[in-house]
Amino acid sequence: MTCDAPAAEPTVWRSYGTRRRSTRAVRVRVCAALVAVTVLAVLLVPPLAQLDQQAVDLAAKLRPPSWAHPFGTDDLGRDLLLRCVYGLRVSLLVGLVAALVAAVVGTAVGAAAGALGGWADRAVMRVVDTLSSVPHLLLGIFVVALFRPGVVPVAVSVASTHWLSTARIVRAEVLSLRSRPYIDAAVSGGASRRRVAVRHLLPAVAPQAAIAATLMVPHAMWHESALSFLGLGLPAHMASLGNLVQGARGSLLAGHWWPTLFPGLFIIVPTLAVAGLAGAWRERLNPRRRSELML
Amino acid sequence: MPGRTPVLSVRGLSVRFLMPGGRRVAAVTDAHFDVAAGECLALIGESGCGKSVLASALLGLLPANARTAGRALLGDLDLLAADERTLSRTVRGRLVGLVPQSPAAHLTPVRTVRSQTQETVSALTGVRGRAAVRAAARAAADRAAFPADHLDRYPHELSGGLAQRAATALALVGDAPLLLADEPTTGLDRALVDRTVDELRRHVDAPDAAGGTGRGLLMITHDLAAAERVADRVAVMYAGRLVELADAASFFGTPGPRHPYSRGLLQALPDRAFAPVPGMPPELGDLPEGCAFAPRCPRASAACAALPATVGGLACHHPLPGDDGEAPSPTASSTEDIRA
Amino acid sequence: MLELRSVTAGYARKAPVVHGVSLAVAPGEAVGLLGPSGCGKSTLARVAALLHRPDAGTLVLDGEPVRRWRHRAPRAQRTAVGVVFQQPRLSADPRLRLADLIAEPLRATGRREEAPRRVPELAAAVGLTRDLLGRRPHEVSDGQLQRACLARALVLRPRWLICDEMTAMLDASTTAALVAAVEDYRAATGAGLLAVGHDHTLLHRWCDRTVHWDDLSDAVAGEEGLVTPSPVTDGS
Repeated sequence: MTCDAPAAEPTVWRSYGTRRRSTRAVRVRVCAALVAVTVLAVLLVPPLAQLDQQAVDLAAKLRPPSWAHPFGTDDLGRDLLLRCVYGLRVSLLVGLVAALVAAVVGTAVGAAAGALGGWADRAVMRVVDTLSSVPHLLLGIFVVALFRPGVVPVAVSVASTHWLSTARIVRAEVLSLRSRPYIDAAVSGGASRRRVAVRHLLPAVAPQAAIAATLMVPHAMWHESALSFLGLGLPAHMASLGNLVQGARGSLLAGHWWPTLFPGLFIIVPTLAVAGLAGAWRERLNPRRRSELML
Repeated sequence: MPGRTPVLSVRGLSVRFLMPGGRRVAAVTDAHFDVAAGECLALIGESGCGKSVLASALLGLLPANARTAGRALLGDLDLLAADERTLSRTVRGRLVGLVPQSPAAHLTPVRTVRSQTQETVSALTGVRGRAAVRAAARAAADRAAFPADHLDRYPHELSGGLAQRAATALALVGDAPLLLADEPTTGLDRALVDRTVDELRRHVDAPDAAGGTGRGLLMITHDLAAAERVADRVAVMYAGRLVELADAASFFGTPGPRHPYSRGLLQALPDRAFAPVPGMPPELGDLPEGCAFAPRCPRASAACAALPATVGGLACHHPLPGDDGEAPSPTASSTEDIRA
Repeated sequence: MLELRSVTAGYARKAPVVHGVSLAVAPGEAVGLLGPSGCGKSTLARVAALLHRPDAGTLVLDGEPVRRWRHRAPRAQRTAVGVVFQQPRLSADPRLRLADLIAEPLRATGRREEAPRRVPELAAAVGLTRDLLGRRPHEVSDGQLQRACLARALVLRPRWLICDEMTAMLDASTTAALVAAVEDYRAATGAGLLAVGHDHTLLHRWCDRTVHWDDLSDAVAGEEGLVTPSPVTDGS
């Protein structure tokens, strides 16, 4: 065998690790599809449907799933599919608003604590610890109790209990970044404290904060459902998912499973899909994966 | 090395990375070399020339977008064709010991050196029983000159030199016939570099468990002084290709390197001319048709538009004069070092 | 003059890594500071660059004693010292393209209009091609990134340059190229240099004079085998 002749471009190429990648890709696609279906349903069904979700038809109450009513009807004869979509709409709205508020507040507090350090950091983090030690739901109930039922108080209640984890994540990230030589280099290049924070620290923590916020959407939806289920959340006539499950309790005991099952699935499936997507996103951000080519 | 059986023999190893947008990065192209038992081959080159990718390919640690071709035979086993199961059960640690680039990061921070060594001993060897494992771990540490009274320390309590020895001890546990050292001296100071490579050399020369001729060592480094200290042979990599494979004594001494790139690299040393090779290495995703070094080469001519053949371990149209004072013709007989 | 007078510094009050060290660099002079890994020389370099407040001792920069450190130091004093660190990967903001990385100090000091002229000029001086300037740090090699970090240190035309193990991670050719770029800059501007490192051959060749760490301080933190953990001098 001789190696002297320049070999032609080798033709037999072997690949690596395709199986692991493909299962991950499938998982991501399934999650993305579910999220897309959810969003489309929430946006498109209400304007397209000819039916009124509040239309009461006592003659058709508690019908099991059928072609006319794929999810069946509730104890007032209202179409459950339509109710679920409207409920998801409300829950998603509350979840999104709450997650956004919580992410912004959490990032601001966490970044300030991490960047300032010293006594400011200690004071802020003690407050965060104290609030974290109170059960979320209890704190949430306390906040809603202060207002009249509605979307805004529920969103505020959920947000006020959920910014804590974001603040922790962001602070830890800022602390680890603060001692990086590139921050030193920026300081040496004349950057002010504000510029270091805005140009170098915030963009670095933004992805982490965004992931935390995304993971918070399902969490906030669960929280909203729990509050509504307890009768403390949205007014009973609003079709939130929590309200739907709450209203169906009586029929469940009578053996009518569909008014509980379908709203329940509407809580579980989209939230899991969002969480799955956020998880995959976090994995992608892992710096070891960011550059597939490491020389 | 005639007369010695190769531990590792690499034939036509190529690695491509498929990048988004259909771009292909030629990280390693058509590498041929052998590592014999009791021999150290130093693979040198600038950062980003593909030498670390070559190491990853040998260990089966390439990312999912990589494609390989060619063979890397370790005994009867082709490392490039082996599946993950074979690699993890029989290759890593048992057939190839890895001496890592940053030993402190290679060790588990929350466990002591002793516990990690013992775990490695029970995973890689047949030693069973608490006392026996303990003794074997101590012996392993001893072989790497790791002081016994430091065994109960955590990695962050070790100096750079001791962390390197701890990592070397782990690499030696499986008594692998081939040691692969990936930039083992980066960031260490000169005294530590010397000690580290001397110790590696000792492990190469020490007879293996079967009383054989010692281990083979493939050391990947950009530190030319370290390579000079430890290597029997030197392989120079440029833009993913091995451009020169030479005896270390003649490479670092007289007549010196024959490839203009190797010459330039040596002349950049502060104890030589301290003059950089002009320009920068080409992108591995966008290599020229012919000799990749031609744009930076003082000897380049029209002939360099074609890829030079590798003759006697040298891939150059216009090599510098060797022992016999003239460029060898393709019929020169000094090719045994890259032949099987 | 850049003068360090009996500087004691560290990360924990009770265990300073630098003990009473004095060192002076004259204008235009190149001083090499040699010392083993983990001896505290990187900490001293950070003090000299106004990035770390010493526990005791003073830094006098061009006759002016430094009283405030990091962000609080007057901008003119801070930017009179350019600094290059050992690990280019950690020294570059991963989100900035190399051109923005080099121009960042100009923007931070309100001189962004100079960037279009200065960036290509410096890129040429450190040997970066136009194509590389548009890339982000993870798309270039260590050597190329360190070239950009050197350009960033030079962009404000500092009177003092501190190179802390600048070439420890780099191959011989890139080392020679970076040292040549530093020397070209110093020849043109008369800037002083403090080069910290462990490579005798390199620093002897590079600098006017070299001093050894052990000759500057009487006590050195960390015995063989047990070093004081220091979060910032990581890897040195």
